[in-house]
Amino acid sequence: MTASTVRVEAVIRTVAATVESVPDTQTVTIAYSTPTMTDDTLPAAPPTEALAPIALRFTGSGSEYFRIWIVNLALTFVTFGIYSAWAKVRRLQYFYRNTQLDGSGFDYHGNPIAILKGRLIAFGMFAAYNFLKGWDSTAALVMAVVIGAVLPWLLVRSLAFRMRNSSWRALRFRFNGDVAGGYKVFLLWPIASVLTLGLLAPAAYHALKSYQHGNTAFGTAPFTFSATVRDFYRLCLRTAILFGGIPLALLLLAGVNGVLSRSAVPAMSDLASMGFWLLLEVGVFALYFALLLAMPYFLTRSQNLIWNHTALGPHRFECRLRVRTVLWLYVSNFFLTVVTLGLFRPFAVVRMARYRAESMTLVPGESLDQFVGTQSRDVAALGEELSEFLDIDIAL
Amino acid sequence: MSGAPAIACDYFDGLTTARHPVTLRVEDAHARVQGNGIDRRVPLNDVKVSERMGAAPRLVSFADGAFCEVRDHASLDALLAATGYRDPVVARIQSRWLWVGAALAACVGLVVLGYLYLLPWAAEQAAGQIPRSAMDSISQQTLAALDQHLFKPSKLPADRQEALSKRFALLATPDGDQVPHAIVFRSSPRMGANALALPNGTIIVTDELVDRSDTDAEILSVLTHELGHVQRRHGLRLLLEGSVVGLVVAWYLGDISSLVAAIPAALLQARYSRDLEQEADDYGARMLRFNGLSPSLLAAMLEKLESAHRPGGSGAGYLDSHPATADRIRRLREQR
Repeated sequence: MTASTVRVEAVIRTVAATVESVPDTQTVTIAYSTPTMTDDTLPAAPPTEALAPIALRFTGSGSEYFRIWIVNLALTFVTFGIYSAWAKVRRLQYFYRNTQLDGSGFDYHGNPIAILKGRLIAFGMFAAYNFLKGWDSTAALVMAVVIGAVLPWLLVRSLAFRMRNSSWRALRFRFNGDVAGGYKVFLLWPIASVLTLGLLAPAAYHALKSYQHGNTAFGTAPFTFSATVRDFYRLCLRTAILFGGIPLALLLLAGVNGVLSRSAVPAMSDLASMGFWLLLEVGVFALYFALLLAMPYFLTRSQNLIWNHTALGPHRFECRLRVRTVLWLYVSNFFLTVVTLGLFRPFAVVRMARYRAESMTLVPGESLDQFVGTQSRDVAALGEELSEFLDIDIAL
Repeated sequence: MSGAPAIACDYFDGLTTARHPVTLRVEDAHARVQGNGIDRRVPLNDVKVSERMGAAPRLVSFADGAFCEVRDHASLDALLAATGYRDPVVARIQSRWLWVGAALAACVGLVVLGYLYLLPWAAEQAAGQIPRSAMDSISQQTLAALDQHLFKPSKLPADRQEALSKRFALLATPDGDQVPHAIVFRSSPRMGANALALPNGTIIVTDELVDRSDTDAEILSVLTHELGHVQRRHGLRLLLEGSVVGLVVAWYLGDISSLVAAIPAALLQARYSRDLEQEADDYGARMLRFNGLSPSLLAAMLEKLESAHRPGGSGAGYLDSHPATADRIRRLREQR
């Protein structure tokens, strides 16, 4: 459905609603006097002053989420996992509703049955693969290929499900990515980056984010993604140099010492041999440590990169996650979770969610009152019913 | 209920994100939304109220997707109470610390119960359902892998191998049933004195174990223990138990670190493997007594294996997978 037909429909609807009060079973009396809908084809009045950036706010608390989490867990155990779909809806609703933009919370509308279906499918595939792996490697291989072939389609469907069931101020998000694009980013690009030993991985990641962010819309307003492949390569290179440089230099020096230790001069050979082992050990340790740090660094920086190059209609985003804060959260959450045998986990999740949300700012290009929905009132339309039937959410 | 106070909130019509400051009140079993040019009157039966989720605004929504976003929790609670509204059961449980404590206790209780009784029972049931062909296939693959990495062909003379197999075949099982099995011999300097049972009844005995024994009866005693593993399907049970424990631990701690998740999983599995060893010991002891032999033969053999592996042993030995050997030896001696 194109934007213009939607507008015409909306106008008709609004007019109809204004002219006649509907004396139905519902006895709804609607009297819209706001001219937003009828006037939205006209350009918005230019803002008299630059609009102030609006930070996301997170109002959740660890102790609140702990209660939701533990009750979810208990009910999931008691129902042999069936309740986990309902638990997921409660969890997401808690985080969505407590994330607020311009005073309004987001909301999640996922149908637990659809989630349960998705989980059963995912569990079935996983179980079948592991079952077959035990004694029939050919069948297991066939199964793996089948899973690989179906997975991109499932992922596209589940992205669509997630977006369509997310809303802000009663307007839904949408994901319009086509299945062909899904196969490209979830199957072809990963294969290509494996075949090139990771050289194409930054491009693959860019393609994925471009597909995801470039095909999402809020109401009729599309998200746009402007980061370039070059940006992604630059970030990967930076990460590699920052975290790979020192360990590689140490290992290289170890190699030099290794060569020198074969020297004919005994004193020099002994010294070099000692240096070889010392540098090798320090180098390997440094490499391990660097790998531990590189992942949070990369994830944080790529998050910033992605959101700083994402726009929603005339609105921009600013994401200012700091690597050291994220690292501190990771490390402290990790230790507290281990010490409390996992009971700190809900608190850890809330801490991270708060920091992530509050690092995000929306820079409005116009008033946030001006988003227009597409078909939010056609919830029971046939197309919706059909896709609701096919709905699956496989994100575990 | 016309006297109920109106609550100030924001109304969103579901068509645009325009915010309409309105008031919400209840009159004659209808929700009434008024203000900013809006005037709606909807029967309470057609109104949905979102659960209280901390400080998050609550939504009073109508069938067409429009809703009121309410931030004044105290007033809304009063209004809802006046209409006789009750939160869903789960929301009420979540809002009371007593119930939360009960949920925590239930979680801990169920996990302990599941770990101690439910999972071993379920694994035993499931292991009984696995078809013969599957067990053959798993066992053949395992033996092939072991042959490739750990085992060399046995140096024992063929007639000695055959004599041992025949002597063992003469022993009656304590339950009087036939337990299909086949004894194979391998040399393994890396594994040392050891014996292991595969799900389909293949029992592998190392030359090193034969060398360690003083009498053939001692070798037979180890075989009775291994036959216990076969008869009670221990291989499959341990495999199933280990998979479930691994999955649950990974799920519970997974997003922290797979390395950290591996440690508790291994510790939890150790208990299962100890239980199965004890079960196999009991079976072996029964079988030995049934055939007029002493369970202390197995105890003596365990002692020898322990002394072979402990002092400067190669590490990966019989006893690492057979914890608390001293306890087992004592149990066997007591069973005489």
